[in-house]
Amino acid sequence: MSEVVKLQLIGLAVVGSGALILLLVRAQFVRVIGFVAIVLGLFTLTALSVPQMASLPPVEEKFDIATVKTPTDMATIGQKIFFSKGQCALCHTIGPSESARCPDLKGIGAKLSREFLFESLTQPQAYIYLDYRHEGQPKEYPARMPYINKNPIGLSKNEILSVIAFLQQMSGEPISVSVAELEVPGQAPAAPVKVAQSGPVAVAQAH
Amino acid sequence: MQQQGGWFQRLLQAGRGHGGMFSALLWAVGLLSLPALAFGADVAPAAATEYRDIPYIGSRNLVWVVAQLHLLLAGFVLGVPIFAWLCEVVAWKTGEKRYDKLAKEFTKLLTSAYATTALFGGILLFLLISFYPKLMNYLTDIFFPSFIVYCLLFLVETATLYLYWYGWDAMQDGHKKTFHIFLGFMLNFFAFFIMIVPNSWATFQASPVVLAEGSDIARAWAATWNPTWWPVNIHRLIANVVLGGYICGAYAGIRYLSARNAEERDHYDWMGYVGNFIGVFGLLPLPFAGYWLMREIYQYNQQMGITLMGGFLSWLFILQAMLIGVLFLGSNYYFWLGITYRIPGSELKYRKSMLSMLIILLLCLGVWMTPHSLVASLEEARKMGGTHHPLLGVFGVMSAKMTVSNLMILVTFMSFIMYWRAGKEETAGWAKAAKALMSALLVLAGIAVVVLGVWGYFVPAIIRINYFSTSQVMIVLFVMLTITPLTALLLKSAKTTTEMVWGKMPPRAGYALVLNAIMVILLMTLMGYARSSSRVHWHVYGVLRDSSQYAFSPALGYAAGIMALNTFLFCMIVAFIFWVATMSDKAKASHS
Repeated sequence: MSEVVKLQLIGLAVVGSGALILLLVRAQFVRVIGFVAIVLGLFTLTALSVPQMASLPPVEEKFDIATVKTPTDMATIGQKIFFSKGQCALCHTIGPSESARCPDLKGIGAKLSREFLFESLTQPQAYIYLDYRHEGQPKEYPARMPYINKNPIGLSKNEILSVIAFLQQMSGEPISVSVAELEVPGQAPAAPVKVAQSGPVAVAQAH
Repeated sequence: MQQQGGWFQRLLQAGRGHGGMFSALLWAVGLLSLPALAFGADVAPAAATEYRDIPYIGSRNLVWVVAQLHLLLAGFVLGVPIFAWLCEVVAWKTGEKRYDKLAKEFTKLLTSAYATTALFGGILLFLLISFYPKLMNYLTDIFFPSFIVYCLLFLVETATLYLYWYGWDAMQDGHKKTFHIFLGFMLNFFAFFIMIVPNSWATFQASPVVLAEGSDIARAWAATWNPTWWPVNIHRLIANVVLGGYICGAYAGIRYLSARNAEERDHYDWMGYVGNFIGVFGLLPLPFAGYWLMREIYQYNQQMGITLMGGFLSWLFILQAMLIGVLFLGSNYYFWLGITYRIPGSELKYRKSMLSMLIILLLCLGVWMTPHSLVASLEEARKMGGTHHPLLGVFGVMSAKMTVSNLMILVTFMSFIMYWRAGKEETAGWAKAAKALMSALLVLAGIAVVVLGVWGYFVPAIIRINYFSTSQVMIVLFVMLTITPLTALLLKSAKTTTEMVWGKMPPRAGYALVLNAIMVILLMTLMGYARSSSRVHWHVYGVLRDSSQYAFSPALGYAAGIMALNTFLFCMIVAFIFWVATMSDKAKASHS
């Protein structure tokens, strides 16, 4: 018997007890307790009838450099991070969706360079979003993207490179991130990723 | 170290002065303790305990129940003084002694209610220190200056409460009464700070501001003034008024149901009316405060906002809609029962309006409860072309929900005004013009809210949230702030055509009052779960991670079970407090 079924049975028992009290007992205070039991039981039963989703802490993807042999391996890890620890799918979709809140990332690996992607993830405020959906002059909005390399998401450099590999792979692009760029724990970091040159604030075209 | 060295040298020198005996003794002790030192060097310092647990119940569940009960009791003991003070001021201004009696009756509860709240606060503190030592260490390090302030506030609050309660009868006339009113104000003033200080600890966990450097006070102050502190302060302040009002209503409802004579029925019917009135008075602006809080959460961290509104907690807001909807329906129903039974002759006059309002409320509730995505099988989803229903999907978005919630507030406000005006005839010369203006304002506001809601589908979300939704809120607030004083002015010179008849309400009115109180308490437990779950697997969001086995938020069904349990326990505790506080009165009444 699943936990939900057990709870539903308890809820039904509470509602039933409340109904019995209202039917059989005359003492007003006890009748009110019966009424409260019915209300609380119905509330619990309603809550049990909606989708039961628990929020689990993100599974840490084990990044064992020794097992990563090819950029495709990196993309596989990147895909997992995209949908779990990275929380990318909380706002972004891959392909058009009715529930999209933020830019659709389908084909983003082909549209943007890896340097731009890296900067978008680690310095999201470097560019201002330009919305062309209005008539007249396009309007500017600051990016609401979080800093992916800082808490609460806090992806490591290796994890960010893997996400970029995934974005490129799912866009049908050759993966330009190489395994040699991964940082081995305890060793000096590899050469830093080249960051796109930008002025104090640049404007990115949305479409 | 230098000081210690000097001390040791002086000791050796002193020993030499005594024939070297003391030096020899010291050397001997030193040599004997060497193995112990070697043994001690082998033992690594014990790692600090981060979490503790208890079998069967689990530490998290126990803390959940105790924290929730403490918070509900705190809401009660902070809401009741506001309620009591308002009643005392009404009695003072109007000379109606029954308001003073009501205020005293509820203040009597405070001494035992305070003690119970403090008891649960103490239990909660011990549990937190025992189960979450790492978290408590961290919070103490940041907030210890405000812990001191909190203790001081308790001292002055308790002293003021003693003066306010024990001085009630002694301070009834003239300047003494004015001083008593002032004491009541101070009681609420200190209580407000008692509420906002721990609010800072809780809101810090959701939206922390951490200074790496600075004095203790600077760090505590920065952490206190975090982005969600004031929205939560205002939201809780209003919610406490609502809780106080509806608890008073529920108490009156139960006493009304078990009243033994006409006098009791009259008194508790009237008390139920006052409780519901104050509850609705607070309920109307409460959604606006909630909206502000959500806006601040989105501003602070969009991921947290999405987790709440669109992520795994999105279904919680369907439950919230259901509870608020039932609360609105219950409050309106009680108003309509009042019009029907307390003001003879008004039923015919207002029947059509009540029916229309009921239909609008039910339609609005239906829209509010429509989920964004439907629970559908794969086949059903294919037929619909997604998880959005082709017709009902339109109602699942924020634009529709903001519109109906504002309409429900407008309808409840209309009920409130209708009840206020029932049985009275306006005599002012400008009454006709004022009534026409009020009707026009209500109709225009309703149309404007709907137009903005529909328009909201065709503009980007940022425009809708920043301009349209806020405009809807401002329109409804404007209507309330215009019509309320206008009605008060109009009724000042009005003639009473039908006197209110107390004690004639049917028993279902008593149950409606109890239902409203249960809805408010459930809402508080539900939103407490939402606030806590929005931090996901963090004790302090983005700063201190929860690495315990309970670093997950349980599903809604399980959580609802705990919420129902907490609500039931709280009701039983409050019933006990009422029983204890009124025991001597009942004994006196039975002897006389």
